[in-house]
Amino acid sequence: MAESKIPVFSAKWSEEEKGKWGLVVDQDLCTGCQACVTACAMENNIPFVGEEDAAYGRAMHWIRLERFWEGEYPQVKATPFQAVMCQQCGSAPCEPVCPVFASVHSQNEQLNIQVYNRCVGTRYCANNCPYVARTFNWRDYDRPEPLNNQLNPDVTVRRRGIMEKCTFCVQRIRKTEDAAKSEGRDVYDGEVEPACVQACPAEALVFGRIDDPESAVSKRMQSGRAVKLLEELGTQPRVTYLKGGD
Amino acid sequence: MTDKLTRRDFLKLAGAGAAATAILTGCGPASRYVVREPYTQMPEYTYNGQSTYYATTCRECPAGCGIVVRTHQGRAIKIEGNKSHLVNLGKTCARGQAALQGLYNPDRVQEPVRQNGRGSGDYTTLTWEDAVIVVKDALADNRPGEVAFLLGLAPDHLADLAAEITAALGAPSPIRYGAYGMFEARNTLAEAAGRVLGNRSLPVFDLANADVTFSFGANFLETWLSPVAYSRGYARMRRGTAGSRGHLVQFEPRQSQTASKADEWIACIPGTEGLLALALGRLVAESRGGALPEAFLDVDVVAIAAASGADEETLRRLAALLAGAEHPLVIPGGAALGLSNGLETAEAVLALNALLGNLGKTGGVSLTPELPVHAGNRRLPNTLVELADLTEKMKAGKVKVLFIHGVNPLFEFPAALDFAAALANVPLVISFASFPDETAAQSDFIFPDHTPLESWGYQFAAPAADRPVLSGSQPVVVPFYNTRATADVLLAAVQALGGDLATAIPYKDEVEFLQQSVLGLVTENGFFNAPEINTFWAQWQQFGGWWTADAALTTPLAASALTRSLRLPEAEFEGEGEFLLHVFPSPLMGDGTGANKPWLQETPDPMTTVMWNSWVEINPKTAEELGLEDDDVVRLVSPFGEIEASVYRYPAIRPDVIAMPFGQGHSAFGRYAAGRGSSPARLLPVKINGAGDLAFSAVKVRIEKTGKIRPLARNESRLGVYGEE
Amino acid sequence: MLERIKKLNLLEKARELVRKPVFLIGTGLLFLLLFSAAGYGVWTTQQPPPQPIQFNHSVHVGLGVQCLYCHPGAWRQASAGLPTSGKCWGCHQQMANTKPEQQKLVEYVNSSEPIPWVPVFIQPDFVYFNHRPHIAGGVNCETCHGEISRLTVAEPIAGQNMGWCLDCHRTTAGDDEEKLIRLTDCSTCHR
Repeated sequence: MAESKIPVFSAKWSEEEKGKWGLVVDQDLCTGCQACVTACAMENNIPFVGEEDAAYGRAMHWIRLERFWEGEYPQVKATPFQAVMCQQCGSAPCEPVCPVFASVHSQNEQLNIQVYNRCVGTRYCANNCPYVARTFNWRDYDRPEPLNNQLNPDVTVRRRGIMEKCTFCVQRIRKTEDAAKSEGRDVYDGEVEPACVQACPAEALVFGRIDDPESAVSKRMQSGRAVKLLEELGTQPRVTYLKGGD
Repeated sequence: MTDKLTRRDFLKLAGAGAAATAILTGCGPASRYVVREPYTQMPEYTYNGQSTYYATTCRECPAGCGIVVRTHQGRAIKIEGNKSHLVNLGKTCARGQAALQGLYNPDRVQEPVRQNGRGSGDYTTLTWEDAVIVVKDALADNRPGEVAFLLGLAPDHLADLAAEITAALGAPSPIRYGAYGMFEARNTLAEAAGRVLGNRSLPVFDLANADVTFSFGANFLETWLSPVAYSRGYARMRRGTAGSRGHLVQFEPRQSQTASKADEWIACIPGTEGLLALALGRLVAESRGGALPEAFLDVDVVAIAAASGADEETLRRLAALLAGAEHPLVIPGGAALGLSNGLETAEAVLALNALLGNLGKTGGVSLTPELPVHAGNRRLPNTLVELADLTEKMKAGKVKVLFIHGVNPLFEFPAALDFAAALANVPLVISFASFPDETAAQSDFIFPDHTPLESWGYQFAAPAADRPVLSGSQPVVVPFYNTRATADVLLAAVQALGGDLATAIPYKDEVEFLQQSVLGLVTENGFFNAPEINTFWAQWQQFGGWWTADAALTTPLAASALTRSLRLPEAEFEGEGEFLLHVFPSPLMGDGTGANKPWLQETPDPMTTVMWNSWVEINPKTAEELGLEDDDVVRLVSPFGEIEASVYRYPAIRPDVIAMPFGQGHSAFGRYAAGRGSSPARLLPVKINGAGDLAFSAVKVRIEKTGKIRPLARNESRLGVYGEE
Repeated sequence: MLERIKKLNLLEKARELVRKPVFLIGTGLLFLLLFSAAGYGVWTTQQPPPQPIQFNHSVHVGLGVQCLYCHPGAWRQASAGLPTSGKCWGCHQQMANTKPEQQKLVEYVNSSEPIPWVPVFIQPDFVYFNHRPHIAGGVNCETCHGEISRLTVAEPIAGQNMGWCLDCHRTTAGDDEEKLIRLTDCSTCHR
């Protein structure tokens, strides 16, 4: 029998998969200032949708700050702001449901990649994402001249019908890796900064290699306050949250 | 059916063919014939397709953070923090991030214009030569006493130039005012520092190294003075630079974003913050034993507990916490100072710092020395009293020409000041606004300044760093439109005028003025040193400003701090309504200039997650009593005006207080701002506190139902927080 | 009942219509038109675009000018870059410039106008091609750009699609699994 030419797609992740890039969110430090939200939009060419669509929940934030209330006045307390973005799951629920392999796992970077040119907009991935981290381009959102001048040339401008989400600023990762390689060295810790991490005034966000035990991000993950969101689902999220205060 | 192909069918077929082509070739030809124009002479530091980074200063608020702008092929594409800048150390806030949407805003004023009839929107384009003549004639044809400059809190270099011109002309000094200074009551804090600490300037609070911090209304994580610097300080305080995780207690009637990060929030009655500081002072002094200082002698803790809404037990516990702390710090600010007793409140809090013995110490209160750059010029905004003087002069017809830059009086000032009527009484109003704001719409001429990212300049950083910082601006892109630097327009007018004035103001352009201004720094011990101005200037541009090589804060005088008797008058409120109005500047809209940036509009408010609108926060219990639900539109009525806004049931606000963010409610200012939400400036009183600042919190309002419903776009509803209905 | 008969009649008529040769020919023509239009579209993408100057690559390469002299970006960054007219003039000011195409250059230089080149080798917006690693990996310019030294005006190579990229990436990786992962990762080219 002739060998099939159709490539076999199979999940390669396993329980002991360590991942590559990771993010630590220290909720004790986060002031809820939204700098990450805006920085992300500026870096990643995220369109603004306007009031009406925003009210329908179609705003395109790749990162959002969740805030809940506990108790009643006067003993009321806002829960610590919780920045939620794509958790870059090691075992991502969004991946197996995509019929066109637009939501795929990058073996190289250990990230969930959304391949815009494959995406046909079924939105299965968004429905399957337990973190509600994916946003969908319901329209071709208008960016009137000359606002388009600030578009980042390193990031694809998405059009209507495309699903998108946080990429850990993969364009910055690739750029830094390329620069390091051209200089014949390794990427050093802290060299890659996604836009949110770069902006955060409180330095509540730390990004780096989680497979390097010496990295700043690995060290902070050792904290007794470290938790992962909905870890019990077996998604192996790469984002770690530090709850409470030391 | 006929075999003939009609013209209509043919077009349909052709259309289908074109569509098929487009699909099958991936839109090939359309995107194919782009043109690439290489440089004719490439700048030596540029590589094709590589980004170039320029250091400059963010001017979205007057704090003076250093930024580095990524430019790509002549376009500014991303704002990043300047890592060596001592105010923000590479960090930015949301407003700074969105500043690019000001530069590339579709609604900018693109060229100098004359308006044919104020408010008509009928503009005639002028050349810049004509514009200079208009300014020249305005200076020449009027007596110096009839010329007035009204400037915003940024940029400082323009204020220094205007001060120099008015001094040489014999005209009154420029008035500087803006919503940031107004809602922070900066003069009140400075005046209190003058009385208690012997130096009338804004103190620096070393939050980073404090272990117990009490904040009396200071919303330092949002807009207060230097939010990025204080956010960094907050984070370091939490990470325990002082040894263990710092403790933060906030006293204010509405739980602000800052209070939401505090360990304890004391929802005191507005106007009692100063009393609480006195009570805490007395309890701390008692616990230490010995003679009570004069300042806290006449303090009745029990009465204060009753008056403030905080129980005595809590006060004693908090006092013990403060007394036992190694690096205690108390901060006055925000709405607590914007009351009729705001000055006394600030004095009480600063005196408490003196009692705690943290003056000039790590984790305490210090002062920033002045830099030898136009030393002696006022760095604080003017008081409301001085602004009201100007308004009265305008109303009396004593101002013949008014130059406006960096401030939008018709939006930012309390409507009760009636600046609109005063403006109408000025024969010649020249606005230098980059955007068609409300005031520009009521001006005779708009001579648009460059936006900050296209500008030269400097800004004295708001005191927050461990040393004085002069933050430098340089253009990161070529001006996008036919705009011109206001400093250059003024200088050209002065040169055209000639005579003594031109001799007194000898600068040929803005850059020469800037270089002459910073000349005094060349010989100072800066973090970079240069033998002469050209080398200095190159490094100034490279690093984005100048600061001293070493930490350089001074210790305030504590001698008189505790020997003065402190008395807190009861706060007075205007109006008969049953609710105290608490107005706070929106962390995203700021002084209202954020409203024309679509991404700031779509960034959710931190506490309510509301986007694209303004709202009124009401305690859920109160709302229930009034029969109000979320999104119900209510009318707020104060003695000075009324506005409508949608209700947001806010769980963390006193039941007798309602709160509203400032920044929305523009009637002009471009497509993203105009006609969106409502501005509480219409409700504010013109009432002053002891320092002459606006007592903006001193008003009571009435709530009227309108029966209308206007849903707010909220991020949280998407997550199902209130999704139970 | 009447309704049904009417419907049947209509159906019957439609069937008749379909059987008519006119209809069949018409449909055939329609498809022919569609495909030829599509074919034409594809064809246009493979044509060299009109350029402001009929730049002769073969002459320059023949004179010994290295590719990287004019396109120095290729060995250190994503974009190979186009030379500034200042660079052209560096050599051309030393010659007579009598030919009409050379005269065009003289005009551009004298007027300080940039030359509006039209890119020939172009990738879709969602592809992030980077020259540097290719040159660093020892790929010759000719491997992708064809025998440009024999061409006058640069011409596109047919079939530069993703399969073509991946073929080379797979061959280069060979048995090196890690390299294969790196070179065939989506995020390598799409982001």
